[in-house]
Amino acid sequence: MAQLIADPREVARGHHELAFAWDGAAPLPGQFISIKVNEGSDPLIRRPFSVYDFREGVLRIVVKSVGRGTRELSRYAKGDALDVLGPLGRGFSVREGGSVLLVGGGVGNAPLYFLARALVAKGTAVTCVYGSRDAGQVYLSHEFLEVCDRLVITTDDGSAGQQGTVADLLPGVLDGGAFDMICTCGPALMMKAVTEIAVSRKVPVEVSLENYFGCGVGLCYGCTVDTVNGNRRACVDGPVMDGSVIRWDSLD
Amino acid sequence: MNTSVSIGSLTLRNPVTVASGTAGYGEELSGYCDIARLGAIFTKGLSIEPRPGNRGPRILETPSGMLNSIGLENVGIGKFLSQKMPFLREKGATVIPNVAGHSVDENVELCRVLSETPGVAALELNVSCPNVKEGGMAFGRSVPTFTALVTAVRKVATVPLIVKLSPNVTDVTEFARAAKDCGADAVSAVNTFLGMKIDIRKGKPHFLNKVAGLSGPAIRPIALRIVYEMCARVDIPVIAIGGIGSIEDVLEFLMAGACAVSIGTMTLVDPRAPISCVERLEDYMHTTGVSDVREIIGRAQTA
Ligand SMILES: Cc1cc2nc3c(=O)[nH]c(=O)nc-3n(C[C@H](O)[C@H](O)[C@H](O)COP(=O)(O)OP(=O)(O)OC[C@H]3O[C@@H](n4cnc5c(N)ncnc54)[C@H](O)[C@@H]3O)c2cc1C
Ligand SMILES: Cc1cc2nc3c(=O)[nH]c(=O)nc-3n(C[C@H](O)[C@H](O)[C@H](O)COP(=O)(O)O)c2cc1C
Repeated sequence: MAQLIADPREVARGHHELAFAWDGAAPLPGQFISIKVNEGSDPLIRRPFSVYDFREGVLRIVVKSVGRGTRELSRYAKGDALDVLGPLGRGFSVREGGSVLLVGGGVGNAPLYFLARALVAKGTAVTCVYGSRDAGQVYLSHEFLEVCDRLVITTDDGSAGQQGTVADLLPGVLDGGAFDMICTCGPALMMKAVTEIAVSRKVPVEVSLENYFGCGVGLCYGCTVDTVNGNRRACVDGPVMDGSVIRWDSLD
Repeated sequence: MNTSVSIGSLTLRNPVTVASGTAGYGEELSGYCDIARLGAIFTKGLSIEPRPGNRGPRILETPSGMLNSIGLENVGIGKFLSQKMPFLREKGATVIPNVAGHSVDENVELCRVLSETPGVAALELNVSCPNVKEGGMAFGRSVPTFTALVTAVRKVATVPLIVKLSPNVTDVTEFARAAKDCGADAVSAVNTFLGMKIDIRKGKPHFLNKVAGLSGPAIRPIALRIVYEMCARVDIPVIAIGGIGSIEDVLEFLMAGACAVSIGTMTLVDPRAPISCVERLEDYMHTTGVSDVREIIGRAQTA
């Protein structure tokens, strides 16, 4: 059980930050936790969330309300204890030195903050393209600004930062600097586009998958993705994988 | 205190097992408990060749349950024997492979090879697989097809044979009786109930296979009724499956007459659920003064 150390805090429209006192294993950037949102059998299965940050015994996640489970999570209060499994899965490679480009879309920006902090701690330069639908859904960008060497915010409607999707902006960002690696998390179509651009420019790319998970611990084979090396379970072989090996049409 | 139960010539250290397809090959589960302490592990349905499973969505939550359309993704018998069995044996698990061939011949071959494999405690024959020779209808849905399969497999299975029944028939008990007549040592009941989901936005079935298997607490009362009726009418050991997750559920099914239970979907929800049921069963026996678990089995049949 993990206890909330504060009330869920609305950090953007429909997005809540949850902060847990965490005495379990220390998570790595890109790993996730799996939460049983209530005690009964409905909703039944756990909900997976990327670790937004972990330091000094506090683990934070950002939850976008999209359905019953996520809404329920936003209604807990300080002191409540939740059934949390984790940290789970394989995270991002944390490169030492050089320059890394982070590309996030919507709630998929969440794991990138923790990654940015880890990269900066290793002396790696970090540029982050932070994509969102509109200004109202941009969360915790001041925290990103503090750690990233460069932060480019983009919104679909141009209400914050530059207008356009991250895929629209990416070629320009890549033209403007040399990157040793790209790490991305967001909707499948976005990550597919980012992977295509990265592959065409011969930059290694890691993606963090957010497909539908069953158990989250590798037992059910429900989250399998098709790769050039055969089936892989997103929950235990990922969620972070080499984007270039994924057969993206299997995720449509 | 005795928690052990017998299934034919097989003795399980306790009646709490993990259901096929929800335990993988024990590797992940061993991160959450000592798998040697479980009554048994039923491993993922096996075929001769590796199977990639179904494309498209494979899991969907439903009220108190879930639909799955995994399509029997598995490593194939070769890799199972060379990579999965050694791990399970080293951990001291009681291993019951789930045999999921798509023809009588494939099932016979699998059972022959597995029977000769050291460490295989028993076999579970999954009759919910499509029979490719007969237009893909599951073996477990017609008595003659079922009987032909179980009879053929029985001839080569030299370890205890458990037949896992499909609930997608009018009277599951009829199949339990047929299994007994063919010489099966036990039956496990039940597999998933066929269900469906339609995506109203797209106006088409959610799963590419159209139908999918329903499991979890949603099916528990139906599974309990089936097990209760079966235990009353057929003299064969029954391993109960269907939405079991807590000690209360375990006790209900034992009292209904099952000699053991399998935890499936609830293992997916909480991989610690099976070991917790083992521990809670011991606590229950201790506090209620039950010295032998067999005193609980069938209690509700005679009441
Ligand atoms: C590895 C991983 C990390 C994630 N990290 C975050 C995160 O940091 N913050 C965040 O807000 N969300 C994250 N998600 C998505 C989050 O798990 C889902 O939004 C959540 O499970 C939905 O639960 P619900 O009960 O509110 O939705 P439901 O009522 O179950 O469904 C509402 C909608 O959400 C979709 N959905 C359900 N489950 C998932 C799922 N597992 N993944 C994607 N969509 C789903 C459904 O298809 C449906 O359209 C992550 C998912 C994965 C797999
Ligand atoms: C994800 C998943 C995979 C399954 N795979 C198999 C399988 O390979 N072979 C089999 O006989 N049953 C399989 N089953 C059925 C379960 O073993 C069990 O009979 C069924 O789910 C009902 O029990 P439950 O409600 O406890 O899950 C599977 C079930 C699930 C949920």
